[in-house]
Amino acid sequence: MLRSNSGMVKVAALAVALALGAAACGSGDNTGTGTGSGTKLTGTLKGSGATFPKGFYEVAIEAFGTVQPGLTIEYPGGGSGTGRQNLQDGVVDFAGSDGLVKDEDKPKYKGEFLYFPTVAAPITVSYNLGVKDIVLDADTIAKIFQRQITRWDDPAIKTHNPGAKLPSTDIVVAHRSDGSGTTENFTKYLVAAAPNTWTLKAGSTVEWPADTQAGNGNAGVASIVKDTPGAIGYVDLSDAKATGLTFATIVNKSGKPVKATLDAASAALANATVNADLSYNPLNADGDTAYPITAPTWILAYKNQADPAKGAALKAFLTYVLTDAQDLAAVVDYAKLPDGLRQKALAQVDAIVVPAA
Amino acid sequence: MTAPAPVRAPLDLTATNVQRARRVRNGLATAFVYGSVLVAAIPLGFLLLYVIKKGAGVVDLDFLTKDIPIVSRLPGPGMGPAIAGTLLITLAATLMAVPLGILAAVYVTEYGQGSKLAGAIRFLSDVMAGVPSIVMGLFIYTIWVLSFGQSAFAGALALGALMLPIVIRSTESMLRLVPNALREGSAALGASKSRMIMTVVLPAALPGITSGSLLAVARAAGETAPLLFTIGAARHVNLDIFAGSNAALSTQIFANAQQPFLGAQDRAWGAALTLIVLVLVLTVVARVISRRFTLR
Amino acid sequence: MTATPTLDQKPAGPPPAGFGLDGKRRRLADRAFKLAAMASGLSVLAILVLIAVSTSQKAGPALRDEGLGYITGSRWAPNVDVFGALAFISGTMIVSAIALALAVPVSFGIALFLSEFAPRRLRQITIYVIDMLAAVPSVVFGLWGLIVLAPWIVKVYDWIADTVEPIPVLNVLFGQPVTGRSFFTAGIILALMITPIVTSLTREVFDTVPTGQKEAAWALGATRWEMVRGAIFPHSRSGMIGAVMLGLGRAMGETIAAALVIGSSARLTLHLFGSGDAMAAVIANQFGESGGLHRSALVAMGVVLFAMTIVVNMVARAIAGKTVSAAPVRGRR
Repeated sequence: MLRSNSGMVKVAALAVALALGAAACGSGDNTGTGTGSGTKLTGTLKGSGATFPKGFYEVAIEAFGTVQPGLTIEYPGGGSGTGRQNLQDGVVDFAGSDGLVKDEDKPKYKGEFLYFPTVAAPITVSYNLGVKDIVLDADTIAKIFQRQITRWDDPAIKTHNPGAKLPSTDIVVAHRSDGSGTTENFTKYLVAAAPNTWTLKAGSTVEWPADTQAGNGNAGVASIVKDTPGAIGYVDLSDAKATGLTFATIVNKSGKPVKATLDAASAALANATVNADLSYNPLNADGDTAYPITAPTWILAYKNQADPAKGAALKAFLTYVLTDAQDLAAVVDYAKLPDGLRQKALAQVDAIVVPAA
Repeated sequence: MTAPAPVRAPLDLTATNVQRARRVRNGLATAFVYGSVLVAAIPLGFLLLYVIKKGAGVVDLDFLTKDIPIVSRLPGPGMGPAIAGTLLITLAATLMAVPLGILAAVYVTEYGQGSKLAGAIRFLSDVMAGVPSIVMGLFIYTIWVLSFGQSAFAGALALGALMLPIVIRSTESMLRLVPNALREGSAALGASKSRMIMTVVLPAALPGITSGSLLAVARAAGETAPLLFTIGAARHVNLDIFAGSNAALSTQIFANAQQPFLGAQDRAWGAALTLIVLVLVLTVVARVISRRFTLR
Repeated sequence: MTATPTLDQKPAGPPPAGFGLDGKRRRLADRAFKLAAMASGLSVLAILVLIAVSTSQKAGPALRDEGLGYITGSRWAPNVDVFGALAFISGTMIVSAIALALAVPVSFGIALFLSEFAPRRLRQITIYVIDMLAAVPSVVFGLWGLIVLAPWIVKVYDWIADTVEPIPVLNVLFGQPVTGRSFFTAGIILALMITPIVTSLTREVFDTVPTGQKEAAWALGATRWEMVRGAIFPHSRSGMIGAVMLGLGRAMGETIAAALVIGSSARLTLHLFGSGDAMAAVIANQFGESGGLHRSALVAMGVVLFAMTIVVNMVARAIAGKTVSAAPVRGRR
């Protein structure tokens, strides 16, 4: 198994980022409560959920550990579905989720919860073929993932890639086996951008056609694409780059082919309308430079915290993620939040009610 | 006078005269039998060589003691909390399952001859041995974790419940092997039944019981499914058995195996080597005890 | 002159064997021990009852909702609350069948080798090999299977698929498109895992053949193989079947190794070189995120799997009697 050079560079950059983050975070007290020195927090905060932002959360938690060394934060991933269910069960203190909770599920939670947007990133359509910079549009993607297009040299793909030498390899479709916010956002994009072609609807689980493969977490899908010639799958940018995958250029709503980059993601974010509960939808955004499959992600937490220590820790962590940690996002290939959204999120952190110790 | 009746040559049983077809069949069978050993040994050999090669490159003192890194993509140590967790959880499970299992087996063999209760217990422990390990994990999740959170104890409950039927059955077999003469002699000396069991029967069966229990422990140390939802995912060593998540080598291997990042995979190989060594040590000790100390 | 002890004199010597207590307290201690032992025995009952009650309670909603369709339906769609487990039941059976097809001949061969064919030193080495195989935890098998075996064996599958392309039934079972994470790879891994148990059980059965029978065969001039066929197999037939069934039970319940290499694809299929899913693996993969009816359906799957394992073990017991047990003792070597 060859490790691509870009993968090694990414690893090195990540290590440098961690060092810088650690150095920078000792000083500098941005807005928010308790981020800097001052109250020393202890204990353990447990989280679980989306693997989409996991690359960012891990780096943020590591950097936060230099500010609050007494506080341990666990985030093993598991998928948005697991995170939401764990929060319902009360097994974790916060959940990562790329998707919103359905209205009929809200009563199952132990109380009112809040959405805290943290970062956003492109969902890449990664593939394993010797060809670089394949261009695809929503209809073609829909047909590929519905197994209506089964070979790489299909005419539909050729029309978007006139100059490319496409082999006749079979396409192997990789998707998620677990309940996934990435799946939800990917299928929501297809519903919005290819409404007449995509029939499988949107959701964290989808009834994929036969003859497809499934992986656990974004990393699992990345694994399949990496190991299987002819494979195609949807993976967040961070995991795709760290695994050394090639990903497609997607034709956006304005008809322009856009590569999956952080700038293109930020362009998509800039136009998104933010709702009162801080949910927003940057998928299939308007704008010539917007990347059409830019996905949001949130941390869900209960508004009324039961434990004073955990409540304080949660507020401090959220504040950190929305302030200092935003600068780390780009290094691990996540787009930081636009400033307006970020300020609203910070204001919402103050809305968390922590009982007096 | 008629010609003498033809006389058959006497049957020559020396090996050289066995008909060729029979010899060939025997040879094929022998080849098959030797071959099947190779068919089992070769993949095992590949597996062990690979684990040792990848694992040895990763396992060092840092690996065995440092915390599990938070950033899963980067290479680097360690698996200390997972090792501590596996030992802690397995020990707790053993302390719960082994005494309980031995006593239950004692009841079935010594007190329960012919009784319906003993028969039911034996039957049910066979049934319990067939519970899939994932079902045991679900069960503990439902009745314990939802109320008390994830902890090493929850994992130990699940593992202990898996070990219990194995301990019962192996202890029962060992107790049955103790000659009745020993029991009768003890009774003749005036010992009460409990005294007889404690001072004569159990010690006689002890090597077998110990080795059977150690094999159950070895099996439990390698279990993953019961721990998936019951212990959580700690990154630091957690010796508090009742509170807070914990880690285990098996769950760490499971999680890291599915990552495409070589750093994570390397940690999985290191953990795999450590786990195999642990299980092997327990198995070898069990065999040695069994062979050295069993009365024949 | 030493006084000869008379009957009304207590002889000097060790006190009666009864904890040093006498009379009532001794009987109480004896009683207490018996109660402790009985309580332990009852604990097995209690735990099992608890498992049965708790799981059937949780499984109830999904089973009531789906009825028989739970087992006969092949559509598993948690997002619309449709739960048909047929694809997974079939997947479990397929993977177990592959594992048995591969493991049983090999295990019988090894057992015969240990019993009849091996010179003493080779026997010892082989026993070590089998013990080593049994010592490898299932998750390590899964790790090796996923990272090493699957990528390599795809080439073998590819070659086979291309070769059987024109042959009718075989090209459904073994045709393109092939993938390393598939039923067959999971079957191989499971075969490696159940070989030790089937081997050791079969060997115990072979060892119970009366030497008289074997010697009679020798005396008649049989070759070793003929002796095996004539004296060992007829005597061991039921035990061998029992061992196979217990191996089957073990393969059905194996979760983690299968979960890693089977491909996680929820479809009803006979394509052995393609992805699939098995009951235990589905539970492990989906339980964390499940809630409500979905979780109930997964617990129901656990109940169905448990029931299937019980049936297999009972059949094994019925056929083989007490000669094989689900929890084999390996005390004597």
